[in-house]
Amino acid sequence: MSDSVLVVDGLTVYRENHLAVQNVSFAVPAGTDAALVGPNGAGKSTLIQAVLGILPRQSGEVVVLGHSLSPKGDLPVAVRQHIAYLPQNFLFDRRIPITVSELVGLGWDRVGLQLPWVGRRARHHAVRQALAQVDAWHLREQLVSGLSGGETKRVLLAYCLVRPRRLLILDEAPAGLDARSESDFYQLLYQLKKEQGWAILQISHDLDMVRRSCDRVLCLNRTLRCQGVPGHALTPENLSLAYGSEFVRYHHSC
Amino acid sequence: MTIQAELTRMFELSQMPFMQRALMGGILTGLMGGLMGSFTILRQLSFFSDALGHSALLGISIGLLLGFDPSWVLLPFAVLFALGVTYFLERTRLWTDALLNIVYSSSLAVGIILLSFRDEYQGGIGHLLFGDILAVRTADLMFSGVLLLVCAGFIGLTLRSQILLTLNEPMAIARGVSVSAQRTTFIVLLSLMVGISIKAIGVLLISAFVVIPACAARLLSRKFSHYILISAGLGALSAVIGMTVSAFFDLPSGPSIVTVQLSIFLLVILAPKTQALVP
Repeated sequence: MSDSVLVVDGLTVYRENHLAVQNVSFAVPAGTDAALVGPNGAGKSTLIQAVLGILPRQSGEVVVLGHSLSPKGDLPVAVRQHIAYLPQNFLFDRRIPITVSELVGLGWDRVGLQLPWVGRRARHHAVRQALAQVDAWHLREQLVSGLSGGETKRVLLAYCLVRPRRLLILDEAPAGLDARSESDFYQLLYQLKKEQGWAILQISHDLDMVRRSCDRVLCLNRTLRCQGVPGHALTPENLSLAYGSEFVRYHHSC
Repeated sequence: MTIQAELTRMFELSQMPFMQRALMGGILTGLMGGLMGSFTILRQLSFFSDALGHSALLGISIGLLLGFDPSWVLLPFAVLFALGVTYFLERTRLWTDALLNIVYSSSLAVGIILLSFRDEYQGGIGHLLFGDILAVRTADLMFSGVLLLVCAGFIGLTLRSQILLTLNEPMAIARGVSVSAQRTTFIVLLSLMVGISIKAIGVLLISAFVVIPACAARLLSRKFSHYILISAGLGALSAVIGMTVSAFFDLPSGPSIVTVQLSIFLLVILAPKTQALVP
């Protein structure tokens, strides 16, 4: 546990008086890709948002890189700088004028007081590298509002990659990517994990992918129903606990 | 000959200290309105700025009734009013535009009733509604100048947090942006900007300074950073042209500036090149 980038202990979250996540504990060590699986409405996005301090939690402790998330959901900015988060739906007002390189540049800047022109060269260099990594450098001058769903995902991934991080939290990141981009995407995650020791926590609905590429799996259905190495943890019994028995019968008959 | 006489009159007018103060006041309000307006319209607070403007009449009438100089009551009133309305909007589950309508029409009603107790202001209501840019004092200019510096400093130094917050709130929180602190600071600055500009522009037209240049700038910009600068620039440009037109044709200053803002906006909408940028 000592080298864990993220430790969650006894996390309980209510959403509008309804118990969404109950007493969940797990850890994600450095260089590990952990998948969070479970049916719709199981509390996966809620869990992730409570871990990031976006949603308030009822009880439990969240520790990121040795720093506890305060009861109000605050973490030191220096710790936040090591975390990248990609929401499930990047909802934004399409009338906002912003180009791809400006958006990716926002991922590079440290939150806090800063003159807008400071670090221009370093930012430009980092943006160029990040966009090249997701094969989107050619989109740099385009308006974000004009991108397709897959392009938006790639650009948001560049926003995450534009600075070295320690923890990457993805809410169904590959949704909307075509087969080729999806394969590139998992290849990139593998590299970040192996070469740079990033810890990854990702919500996924693709159990085959989880078996193939993730090191750990967490099955959630309000409470944590199973966790461990995917090959061992994703047994029909555990899946039926998380998804219900109907799902497992269907999945196995395919 | 007539044109020459007009130009001579304009030149003489431009030498007058009150005219120079008015022009300076217009430019400062234009810059501030454009700067704050760029974020105000994207955060869908345009109607909020309108409500702030209307409610200023209530602040002025409270000041008059209590026997204070309205200028001193107006600014604290504007800030407290803005914070109160924000709290009210967050606590009530009704439509924001409907709630703001309640706020501004009722504060206008109460303000007018309070004013009716002061007979000497019956005639001066036109000044409150449409402002009197020619009455701007040096102290007003200095206060506007300081406020412009504070607004520019705030937007400039927290630019990335402001953009991220405007774009996607969960992503901003995940990066450590303190949403409530940034929001509150912005609202306080916006209310101060509206409060300080009421004297020159009046309660009815001040929101035009916040909304129209920003909308025109949006149609002209692809980049966020350019958008903010263009918005502030169009605000100042409208003020200069508007003041000139007002002096030349002897028209009311505030409405002239707003008409120039509208003309620029229409030009931008009708110009074929920018059509492609309209979503």
